[in-house]
Amino acid sequence: MQRIVVDAMGGDHGAEEIIHGAAEASLALSDVELILVGDAARIGRILPKVAHDGARIRVHHAGQVIGMDEKPSDGLAGKPDASIVVAADLVARGEGDALVSAGNTGASVLACARRWKLMAGIRRAALASVYPTELRRGEKNDPFSLILDVGATVDATAEDLVTFAVMGAAYARVVSKNNRPRVALLSNGSEAGKGPRSVVEAHAMLLEQTGLNFIGNIEGLDIPRGVADVVVCSGYVGNVVIKMLEGVSDTVMRLARYAHKERLMWRVALAMLSGGIERLKLVTDWEQYGGAPLLGFENLFIKAHGRSRAQAISNAIRVASKAQRGQLCGSIGDGVAAFHERRGESSAASG
Amino acid sequence: MAFRAEHVFRWDLDKTYLKSEFDSFGDLVKAALETAQDKQAYPGARALLRALSRHHGHRICIISGSPTQMKRVLAAKLALDGIKYSEFVLKNNLKNMVRGRFRALRSQIPYKLPVLLESRAQLVETPPETLFGDDAEADAIIYNLYADLLSGAVSSSELERVLQAARAYPDQIEHTLELVERLERADSVKRILIHLEARTPTANYTKFGSRTVPIFNYFQAALILYSDGVLTARQVLFVALEMLESPEYELPTLANSLQDLLRRGRLTTDVAARLALEANEAATAGALAGRADLPPFDEIAWAFASRTRELGGAPPLEWPSEGSTLDYVSLVDQEHHARRDKRRARALRRRRRS
Repeated sequence: MQRIVVDAMGGDHGAEEIIHGAAEASLALSDVELILVGDAARIGRILPKVAHDGARIRVHHAGQVIGMDEKPSDGLAGKPDASIVVAADLVARGEGDALVSAGNTGASVLACARRWKLMAGIRRAALASVYPTELRRGEKNDPFSLILDVGATVDATAEDLVTFAVMGAAYARVVSKNNRPRVALLSNGSEAGKGPRSVVEAHAMLLEQTGLNFIGNIEGLDIPRGVADVVVCSGYVGNVVIKMLEGVSDTVMRLARYAHKERLMWRVALAMLSGGIERLKLVTDWEQYGGAPLLGFENLFIKAHGRSRAQAISNAIRVASKAQRGQLCGSIGDGVAAFHERRGESSAASG
Repeated sequence: MAFRAEHVFRWDLDKTYLKSEFDSFGDLVKAALETAQDKQAYPGARALLRALSRHHGHRICIISGSPTQMKRVLAAKLALDGIKYSEFVLKNNLKNMVRGRFRALRSQIPYKLPVLLESRAQLVETPPETLFGDDAEADAIIYNLYADLLSGAVSSSELERVLQAARAYPDQIEHTLELVERLERADSVKRILIHLEARTPTANYTKFGSRTVPIFNYFQAALILYSDGVLTARQVLFVALEMLESPEYELPTLANSLQDLLRRGRLTTDVAARLALEANEAATAGALAGRADLPPFDEIAWAFASRTRELGGAPPLEWPSEGSTLDYVSLVDQEHHARRDKRRARALRRRRRS
């Protein structure tokens, strides 16, 4: 039976939504034990109000919570009994297989980084994020591509970028059921020599030392088109990209609202398009996807969006379960080992 | 005929003891065609009912809404499971159809309540009772109404209003009122266990008070009955062992079931600690013999104790003060509406699928 640890206190909407999402998952996933970490008395008051399976939910008390706006390092230092700390500890001690949290991203990543071990051959972890694209992929016609890293490792070396590519490809294979994902490096031009030194070196390594379906460099405009299934970049670049994409999406929504208010004709036009917009919203709804994985550690962490409602939490738990069942960490380990082996062989050959 | 009993246990069958589906016509046909071997009891239910039925002074009464035509196969299933019973009542739906009483085909309260009262009327003295039902239909309402009629908390005039709300036929109302008149009043119903087959939120049962305990599985039922002094620790172990034979349960899920009862304030940590000691004695005396697949009892006990520790001393749910009487008329109305909504939702789903 899989054991998925859920930080029950994190997120913008508080414990209620997280617990409702976990309750939903307890009914949907028959081979999963959910360990809810947080204020046991509060969880005990919320759970009875929602349909769940009492045999598949376990509550582990944690008396403190790190707020969404708290500085991660301060939060972790001042709150040793915070739900995310206790949850990461449980996984580190082997009492859980994966962790799901919608809480403070920085604190969550830091809590995992301080307690969990990186996998052999991986120097830095990567936080991945999904983005809806024009082109689809995999056997499930998945409309989301994966971008990593989006903030865990600010400055990545060429070797880090290659391991990110290996990790992202493994994730796409296991979770999106995309057997041969197209992997690309994000750069300022499609030519191999474009970009900073780390990107240029990573390009060569990805071509020569991995068996990945590497399609070369792509530019920012290729991300929303979905030219690549896995987009690799440093945490600094990834964070800027993902925030900009979110900003564009918010602006489009605001402009549509403005148009709706401004002229009757525009309102009629929007109403006529509403069916299509609704469908588009459904297809690209991040709540359907669940969450973003933190990759590179011996255990899996799925970071659900801070704004997650019950359905998104339930989906994040499903993703964690799917990744665990598909032995994602093992698959990443194999991929990284294969890369290091090839790298060793090519160094020996050139030396 | 009059019967003497130390304790009476009344069981529903479908969705309480047996895994049954009767949400659609196809399910009904399938259930009717199943053999005794095909029918499956919920994990732990067989061990629990067997333990209860083997006690000399216990009277097991099975009351089911299944049609009388299924008696042979259901009796064969109970025999296969090694369960001895004192009474076995099924619903005569053929008679209802012949008489054109189509409302009676679906109705629960006008059928079950008089059956319970008739069974009670056959008893000498006023033995305690434990009732088992499920959340698929109106079991919690029927059992609580029955309990309150026995204790005298519900008057005949209120009962008449409840039966009218439950759309009982006039002769059913008259017969039920007659039965109530003959009752020897006593607060006999000690426990009502509702199997959450449909996973109804447990808070929906708070209104019935602490006597009614919604349970997710039969390990929880065994724990409650141990707490009530009805089962021994050894018998609780046997229920747990039967559940562990099913792929649906593992040691952690049983430990979680214990923690769930602690959180809901249905079991105290003192009772859990006493059970651990007695279960240890039972294990030492060979209750776990032949189960090499299980870890040593110390490890099992540790896993269970850890669930208690993990609550960090958080207080269990507080119960609203007891003693407030239930408004059965509105409960029946609500149940009626809920059932109608469920039927409509099912029909809508079917239409969408087709």
